[in-house]
Parts: sequence; C-alpha cells; structure tokens
Amino acid sequence: MLAVPGIEDNFFTLTLFFQNLANALANGAVYALMALTVVMIYKTTGHLNFAQGEMAMFTTFIVFVLAVEQGLNVWLAIGVVVIAAMIVGAAFERFLIQPLENRSVLAPVILTLGLFFVLNGGAATIWGTQPKQPIPAPFPGALADKIDVITDRSPNFFITYKALGVWITVAVLVILLNLLLKRTKLGLAYRAVAANAESALIVGIPVKRMLMLGWALAAGIGAIAGAIIAQYRNVLDFNFMGAVLLFGFAAATLGGFDSIMGAVVGGLLVGIVETFAPALFTFVGNELALVMVLLVILIVLYFRPQGLFGSKRVERV
Amino acid sequence: MSVNGGTAMLQLSGLNAAYGPVQVLRGLALHVDEGAVVVLLGANGAGKTTTIRAICQMVDTKGSALLDGVELVGKRPEQMAGLGIAHVPQGRGTFPELTVEENLEVGAYVRKDRSAIKDDIERWYTLFPRLAERRTQLAGSLSGGEQQMLAVARALMSRPRLLLLDEPSLGLAPLIIRDLFAKFDELNNVEGVTMFVVEQNANLALDIADRAYVLEAGRVVLTGSAVDLRADDAVRQAYLGF
Repeated sequence: MLAVPGIEDNFFTLTLFFQNLANALANGAVYALMALTVVMIYKTTGHLNFAQGEMAMFTTFIVFVLAVEQGLNVWLAIGVVVIAAMIVGAAFERFLIQPLENRSVLAPVILTLGLFFVLNGGAATIWGTQPKQPIPAPFPGALADKIDVITDRSPNFFITYKALGVWITVAVLVILLNLLLKRTKLGLAYRAVAANAESALIVGIPVKRMLMLGWALAAGIGAIAGAIIAQYRNVLDFNFMGAVLLFGFAAATLGGFDSIMGAVVGGLLVGIVETFAPALFTFVGNELALVMVLLVILIVLYFRPQGLFGSKRVERV
Repeated sequence: MSVNGGTAMLQLSGLNAAYGPVQVLRGLALHVDEGAVVVLLGANGAGKTTTIRAICQMVDTKGSALLDGVELVGKRPEQMAGLGIAHVPQGRGTFPELTVEENLEVGAYVRKDRSAIKDDIERWYTLFPRLAERRTQLAGSLSGGEQQMLAVARALMSRPRLLLLDEPSLGLAPLIIRDLFAKFDELNNVEGVTMFVVEQNANLALDIADRAYVLEAGRVVLTGSAVDLRADDAVRQAYLGF
C-alpha cells in the first residue's frame, strides 16, 4: 500500500472503514436527536436552551433510579421518564421562560444557563460525582450481540445490536416527529407559530401553548437521547451529556437552526467527521475531533451562513 | 343610525390605546353596521393601524369595543378568530414557510368542520385562481399581490362575520389593487362579509365603502357616507388629492 505522510494507511481497509462508519452513524444519530431538541425550541422561540444536555442527563439518572434501583423494566422506565420530562419541559417554558420573554432577548438564554448549573450541580449532589454503572440495556449490549457482516477478513465487520437499536430509535423518532408536524393540526399550528407568530395569534392559535409544546418535545426527545447514548457509550455521570450537547449544537449549526432535516443530516455529518478525522489523519487525535468538526462547520457556514438546510430569514419590517 | 341603538355589529366607544407611554388612541368612538363596508382614513401616525390592533387586543387598550354586544377589551388576541373577527394585517400577513394550501388550512384553525373547510378552500381558489395554481408552493415565494390575496383568502377561511383590512393596497401595483378591491366589493355584495378597512388609497376605498371616518391624532374628526365625504373639500384636499 502507498504510504502518504499524515494519512493512516489502514483507514482504507474496507472492513475497518465500515466499522468506523457504523460507529459514526450511531454517534451521529444521537447528535441528530440533540440537534432536534435545539431546533424544536429555536423554531418557535428563537432561543437556545443551554440546559438541554443537562435535562437529558438528569432524566437518564431517573431512568437509572427506576430501572436499576427500583427494578422497573427499562423500556417502561424510559416511557415514564419521557412523559414526565415533557410535562416538566412545558412547565419550564411556562413558569420560567414566559415571565422573562418580554424583558430582553438575553434573559431566557441566561436562565437556561442557570438551569444548566442547577441540574448539573443537583445531579452531582444527589447521585455523586463518580460514574454509575450504566442503565440496563434497552438494547442487547453484550459482546456477542452483533450481526456479522464480513467475517472472512481481518478485522471483521459487524454491526452491534446497540448501534442498530440507536439507528432504529432515531429513525422512528424522526418519522414520528415529521408525521406530527406535517400531518396533524397541532403540527400545522406549531409550524404556523414558527413562521409568523403574530399571524398565528390572528387565526386563533394559542401561541404560548405552542411554545410550551416546543419545550415539551425537546425535553422528551432529549430524554430518549440521554438514555440511548448512556448505553451506547457505557457511561453515566453528571457530566456525560455536556459534550453530546456541544456536538448537537454543532449539528444544528451545520444543518440550519430552523430545519428538522438539517438537524438530522447535520448530526450524521458531525458524527462522521468526529470519527473519520482521527481515523484518517495520523496527526489528529480523538481530542482534536471537536476541532475538526468545528472546522468543517466554519467552511460550510462561510458558503452557506444559514446552514445546509436553514431558511434565509428575511428581516420583517 | 345605530350609534345609540346598539344594533351595530362593531361599536367602539371611549377607546384608548397606548404603546408604553405613547398614547395613540384618545377616546375613539365609531361603529360598523352589519353588512357594511366602513373605511377609516387619516394621515400617517393618526392611529389607523392601532385602531385595528386595539379591536384585536394586540395593544394595551382601555374603553369599550363591542362585537355584537360582546366586550372585546380584556380578551386575548387569539380569542378574536373564534369570535368571528378576521384580520389581514399590514404587510406580510402570511406564513412564508407554509404552502399556500397550508396557509388556508391554518386560517380555518378555529373551525372543526373538516369537509366544509375543504369546500371553502376550493371556493376561495375559484375567487383567486392564482392561488390555486400555486397551492403547493411556499407562501414566501409568492409575489406581493399574490401574498395579499392569500392573506385575504386565509382570513376568509375562518368564515368571519367581520373582516378587518389594514392597508390592503400597500406596495401593490395599480392594476392588482383594482383587481383586489373588485374582489372586496364582490365579497361584500355576494358573501355579505362586513368590512372595516384602513386604507391610504382613499379614492379606491371610498368606491367600495358605505361610510367613512377620518382619524386625526387618535380621534374621529369627521364622519359620513362615502358619497358625502368624497364631496367634502377638506377630505378631497387631504386624502383624495384633487
């Protein structure tokens, strides 16, 4: 094989390439979910919720309590927590964000930063700073739980059930979200508020309730994202969602802050760059993965400031 | 006249409205009878748009605004559509990121009769054929005239009893304006929609109006039939330009 300086030779080994791709897409799918939570709130309110990751971290701990400490079925625990998260998310919007809405543009953003520290510190106080044993698998996660695709080469190429589980979960969620937004009256009302809040009031849409819906959906999607990434990465501690949200923000920026399609594509692209850059270049370590992601975003935004799928906002007079 | 009889569909009295410390409407009183087209004239800054926003409770309002005897002051803006008021706001009233058809569907948000909603969409497509051609396009891609037609059709989708039009001719080419006002006339005569119109283009507005008010610094300074006002020298000089 031709040796090129700075390029990892075995990157081009077919099975290794596929293995990297499978891993990248699973990570990317979770980034897509976090990007979706960012988008669902941004579309209607124009705010970024910096506490999104910590909300997901907190709900994952509650799944842990229900499933590990109380012995509840893990899927049931996730279901209960998702519904609870949606209610609490809507309540956050109603009782914390809405009172600040007319004060200043920055006030709600600062409040979400405050929420970040409350949840982060709260989780550390309640559950300690040491990593917990991860939540019991929603998907089979043992070493043998995999589908062998290519076995006659070294290394083999296999797809783990938990990667498959992540893909299917994210795909189903995205489809459901799309059906909700595109096929229901509730979804139409939500999109109307996103497009023109004043006209939405005029046609009789309770706009404030749609803002609560955005928060509820974001909190629910975040709760699912937290639970599946905790298993996929085998990690649960009070800081584990920080980096995930950062990649989620990156994905939303890449895709365009107001586009659902953009969040999904952006998430997958971020996952691919994060995995492939260290795998392809010898001089890029795993620690530099985020920098490489940001570099790609910088290049994309230079040519498309609104992101890959974002709509160009025209200033309203 | 129904000023004291209380039979007017819309009756404003002692209406005050302010944006923060800036008082815009000062004890405004006017009425709109059922089935009528009433025009509100006035210079820039007289409070025309604020009058419409006050009716819809989109600005801090004191005083009284009765719709069929129901007090609007104190209600929330999103309740107006359900009460039978449709509002075509100044400029962009459409949802740019929704398709033309979705704009019309969302206009019927307060209605529950699904099949009748479908029929109404087709009905307004017949009145505005340009919209039918562009039904799957995003509203943001329409021309100014088409957007205004869409905003009007969307307002009609709620089957309003009272249609509030805020500067419908703003920014449109003269031919399109004439077409649009012909549609308004048709809507009033054929469908019996009551209209309250704020309009800079006084000539056109008076053509389709039954009565008119002239607003100055938040108060009504002149009122009368469209025919009388057209003959009034002061009105002609100030608003008709001849």
